[in-house]
Amino acid sequence: MTPVNISLLVFMIGLYGVMSKNNLIKKIMGLTIINGSIVLFFISIGYRKAGLAPILEEWTTDGISTAIFVDPLPQALMLTTIVIGISVTALALALIVRIYAKYKTLDIQQLSKER
Amino acid sequence: MIIHIPVLIIISPLLAAFLVLLTKKYKIILAITSLLISIVFISTLSSRILSGDKVLYHLGGWQGPLGVSLVIDGLSFFFSLIVLGLGLLVIIYSMHERCYGRTYYFLLLISLSSMTGVIYTADIFNMYVFYELLSLAIYLLIAYPKTGVTLRASFNYLIIGGVGLSFFLLGIGFLYAMTGTLEISHIAEKLPIAFNSSTRMVLMSFVLIVSGMGIKIAVFPLHGWLPDAHSMAPSPVSALLSGVTVKIGIYCLIRMIYGLFSTKTFSIIISSSHTILMVLGVVTLLFGAAMALAQTDLKRLLAYSTINQIGIIFIGLGIGTEMGLTGALFHVLNHAIIKGTLFFCAGIMIAKAGTRDVQGFSGFGRQQPSIAFAFIIASLGMIGIPPTNGFVSKWLICLAAVEAGYTVLAVIILIASAITAAYYFRVIQMFFSNPPKQSSTLICKEKQMIHGGNFFKAWTIYLLVAGCLFLGIVPVLGISIVKPAVSILLPHVIP
Repeated sequence: MTPVNISLLVFMIGLYGVMSKNNLIKKIMGLTIINGSIVLFFISIGYRKAGLAPILEEWTTDGISTAIFVDPLPQALMLTTIVIGISVTALALALIVRIYAKYKTLDIQQLSKER
Repeated sequence: MIIHIPVLIIISPLLAAFLVLLTKKYKIILAITSLLISIVFISTLSSRILSGDKVLYHLGGWQGPLGVSLVIDGLSFFFSLIVLGLGLLVIIYSMHERCYGRTYYFLLLISLSSMTGVIYTADIFNMYVFYELLSLAIYLLIAYPKTGVTLRASFNYLIIGGVGLSFFLLGIGFLYAMTGTLEISHIAEKLPIAFNSSTRMVLMSFVLIVSGMGIKIAVFPLHGWLPDAHSMAPSPVSALLSGVTVKIGIYCLIRMIYGLFSTKTFSIIISSSHTILMVLGVVTLLFGAAMALAQTDLKRLLAYSTINQIGIIFIGLGIGTEMGLTGALFHVLNHAIIKGTLFFCAGIMIAKAGTRDVQGFSGFGRQQPSIAFAFIIASLGMIGIPPTNGFVSKWLICLAAVEAGYTVLAVIILIASAITAAYYFRVIQMFFSNPPKQSSTLICKEKQMIHGGNFFKAWTIYLLVAGCLFLGIVPVLGISIVKPAVSILLPHVIP
């Protein structure tokens, strides 16, 4: 089981959570799990077994091929994705607080009955 | 200065967004000025773009696959004009409503700036980041009135939109795993080699990206969030959502299908993707039309009408010939103009009648002849009746369908237009029916209100209606803007 397969499995778990749970908080948890799985996916793309940190110095350039370096770009991208994920979660939770104050429930079945 | 124009177009509204938070008095002037500056910057580039050239800008001077670059070609020029033009009118329209504070203009400017970002960027991950920023601003704008319904609509959109963008990001991940680069043109170069070695991964990324964008565009099985979000938001925001935000998704889809997966080796993907687009278009078209027919809430009716028109754009994109694409892109422009008018009118009508129900607008045509007239012209455009712009683009798409051998599609578009006529005429008929008993003094007072404070609102509507008629009478002008965009998508077409 490679990390890529695991990350896709986690993605499916998150998707299941978003689609089938009735509680709004659980839906957000599903969205966070999806976000986490994508982070895992990107990191595992760039991962090399026993790879080095991708810092080139003068004495490392000769004789060492770049194949032993870990790909740094996905890691940089994932920092951005994590920040975006946090802001989406924060916004969603803020909306949930407002919704709870209005309707006194977080169950989506009951919310859809309200007008 | 001259070479930095592409990035200044994005930065100008972004900078103004944060300055708006600091001032209380000058917020509207600041917002309008920043958008005008962006429009002036774009128009300085117009002569180069319209002759088929493109402008490249490397952020921070980092070239090629390493850095992030911005590209302004025919397609992005066309879409950014729509975004900034309608965005400016939305701000002018919401100027005289006291209920919108600083945060409203802040969010509006952030969303407009990130829309231009999505359109100009040549880096696919950067596109995702801008899209997510845009979505965050839009979720907040929908929830701006803070009533229960808007909060629920916003939350609904957040969940579905979040999943859609996750699909998109996963698709980007697959593309990066295969090609090792994020710049769209580089991916397009390297993808044929990857296609031979790992066909399934290419297909997977294609499916993920198309379904992710499908959620954002609200094609038929993924449309669930649109009616709530578009109808519950404040009217100027609805106009922005329907006219522009949905089009950003269409832009990304066009870039992906025609720019990324469109090398000759992908003939299997491309032919099947065109069939998929056409089938989705037909289903979306008929579904939107049928659902709009059943609505009694005016703004909900307009929201379903948006789904209906997206179907037409999809059919035009699916046909994929020069004429089909011209029609589809021209319809993007026309739909932005017409839907802007309709939602602006709906805002005034709802404020005046105090109800969103179609039945409640009886007698509106006598009280407010000019607004009612604008609504009628715009709905004629939506149906596709000659002197308006909607006719030209629908005509082009029907013609392209017949030429490409899909006569059925032309018939379906005509049937859907008949249904469109049915639901718009239901509203128009109410304008001229007798109002239920109402005291005459009340009417007088309301008349004064429209003529006084709502001058700017009415002015934006007249401007849009004039554009609607003008593009209908002189369609060559609109098509000359669309032509460079089509030449980007189909290399053999000369702008």
